[in-house]
Amino acid sequence: MFSLYLILAAFIGLLQAKSSTGGSVLVILDNKLNRSEYSLFFGGLEDQGYSLTFRAPGDSTPAIKEYDAPNFNHIIVFAPHTKNFSSDITPQSLVSLLEKGTNLLLALSQKQNLVNSLASEFSLILPPPQTPLVSHFPEREEPATVIPIIPQPNILVGSDLPPVWFSGIPVALGNNPLLFPILRAPAESLASDATADSGADSVLEAVDRSGEGLWAGSSLSLVTGFQTRNGARATWVGGVEPFSDDFAKKNMPSGKKPGNARFCNDVAAWTFQEKLVLRIDAVSHHKLGGSETPEIYTTNDQIVYTAHISKYEPATSSWVPYSGISDLQLEFTMLDPHIRISLPPVADTPGKYSVTFRAPDRHGVFKFVIDHRRKGWSTLQSSTTIPVVPPRHDGYPRFLSAAWPYYTGAISTSVGFLLFSLLWLAGGEEKAKTKKE
Amino acid sequence: MKSSILVVLLGFVASTYAAALTLQSPKFTVSSPNGEQKRSEPISFTKKPSPVQLGPQDVLRISFQITEKENGAGVQPHQAFLRFYDDISGEDGVQPIRVATSGKAKFELNMARPPRSLPPTSPDSTLKVSLIVGSFVHTPLTVDLFDLIVPASQPVAPHPEEVRYHPQPAIEHTFRPEQKTPPAFISAVFSVLVLAPWVVLVGLWSQLSPKVPHLFSPKIVPFTATLGAFEVLLFLYWLDLKLGQVLLYGAGLGIVAVLTGKTALVQVGKLRKGSI
Repeated sequence: MFSLYLILAAFIGLLQAKSSTGGSVLVILDNKLNRSEYSLFFGGLEDQGYSLTFRAPGDSTPAIKEYDAPNFNHIIVFAPHTKNFSSDITPQSLVSLLEKGTNLLLALSQKQNLVNSLASEFSLILPPPQTPLVSHFPEREEPATVIPIIPQPNILVGSDLPPVWFSGIPVALGNNPLLFPILRAPAESLASDATADSGADSVLEAVDRSGEGLWAGSSLSLVTGFQTRNGARATWVGGVEPFSDDFAKKNMPSGKKPGNARFCNDVAAWTFQEKLVLRIDAVSHHKLGGSETPEIYTTNDQIVYTAHISKYEPATSSWVPYSGISDLQLEFTMLDPHIRISLPPVADTPGKYSVTFRAPDRHGVFKFVIDHRRKGWSTLQSSTTIPVVPPRHDGYPRFLSAAWPYYTGAISTSVGFLLFSLLWLAGGEEKAKTKKE
Repeated sequence: MKSSILVVLLGFVASTYAAALTLQSPKFTVSSPNGEQKRSEPISFTKKPSPVQLGPQDVLRISFQITEKENGAGVQPHQAFLRFYDDISGEDGVQPIRVATSGKAKFELNMARPPRSLPPTSPDSTLKVSLIVGSFVHTPLTVDLFDLIVPASQPVAPHPEEVRYHPQPAIEHTFRPEQKTPPAFISAVFSVLVLAPWVVLVGLWSQLSPKVPHLFSPKIVPFTATLGAFEVLLFLYWLDLKLGQVLLYGAGLGIVAVLTGKTALVQVGKLRKGSI
């Protein structure tokens, strides 16, 4: 009996996957959507330790921020059918929340609304209104707008994720390195408002009309993440249905279970700063052979630079030293990088990255700069300033072979002086002996 | 609402009566800008044609007819796309094709004015061309047509910050070359030359044969020892001492030298005068 409680407690402990930035979530749920139809997704979030607060888009409480301070750590906006939002939800207020570190999970709508107009600020190009994603492949009973997608593996979704149901709009990605596509559209899909084969002409007209070309193919993205420069994350999903219980339970045409529950959990985990979150714990530097940090270095010194990096582990809600970054680089910069070398992990200490290099023979004020950005991962940035001075008057090489003549000359002068003074002081005739005789 | 019911019904009908589609008489031709045909062959489903090479001005024409498999009736599907896929870079481009109600379709690709749907290509990339046919009432169809090699395009201009999202090239600082020292042998030779005056001195002294009878006199030895200590201090300063230490020790030795020197010089004076 006691062991049963122990197992239960351990199981509950395993479920605690709180985010690294806090656990309060505001869910702005459309009036037309029923909360119970999304119970698997919201229940899953609550099981992991998040505290959800629900609110309709038209309500004014609970406010998303008060006196410029965010009230919640994360915000989910599932309002695809809403035209009018309350006055505290504006594109500017959502962007200012991102700047303050609040993460956003936004569902796009087929009609033109606030969320869609905000998406274009994030380099996402939306199709014309009322053109959902349609795919005739594979052949299935569901309508063409409900599409099973085999996700391409990337660093967030593993390669063992089962196919996922999707219904909503695709977006074309602009040329912005901050974007992180999580789920791409299948190659045979297109955005179309047709419901019968007679709509074929409208597809061809769309190419000429919209100017952006045809919304089709695997370059479209259905779930796109955006990592802002200050670390907050915003994820844009083409619709609300992928999060619903229906889609999580509906079997695939091949008969297998879908991966919607796990996929939506992964998307929420990335957005709420649980997965792929890194930070620099400490950096230090010292001369090769020494151990404490000097205040200045001399040119041509051998410098050892060390960084300690850890990754957030959602299962234990803690930061764990992480040695898995293989392409970390260090720059030694004075206005421009003078040296850029790779910072490899040290084999026997987890989380420690270290490199030894020779300071340039230019003097000046340099910075050790780590600026590690990769799509999907949080940014690692660190900058430590250190002066590098030319050698002091006694820091130059000494006892050179070219100076031997000068050394011998000086030493022989000293020896000569000693000999002469000895001779003068101690010399003389041996008068004392003759006197005595 | 009504259209969604219609779609569901159609879908139901499609699942029970989904007719399969097929391509009839698919063929392609490659012609040069002045009209002569370089290549013209039908596309076989069993054996893929050899890769199609297009020059910068060539024209590729594809024609086919989409029909139902059972009765050969022409079909105008909702979606008839030509997909160009580069599997090395992962780029794919989709070109819609206009299909007549009889199911016949023709497509022309002029490399002099390439369509926007052609993805950017590098010199060694091969585009896999396939036809995607999708319909609300028929089983969908994908047909691999052939491989296409087109001239390389301009590379896509990346975002200026894109370079920071990948490992950047390593920068090494070129140091000033080490100062070259002249050969040690030359320094040794000149060191020996520096000692040449000693030869003269020792030679002249041997002629004179000076004597040092009072070398170990107890009043003189302290002073000579102090003079020796000054020389040792100078040597140590050259080796490893700082100015402050040298001045300190030098001051101490100076006081000693004054005392011992007084006794020594008094002694020497007495010796010279002959009073001892």
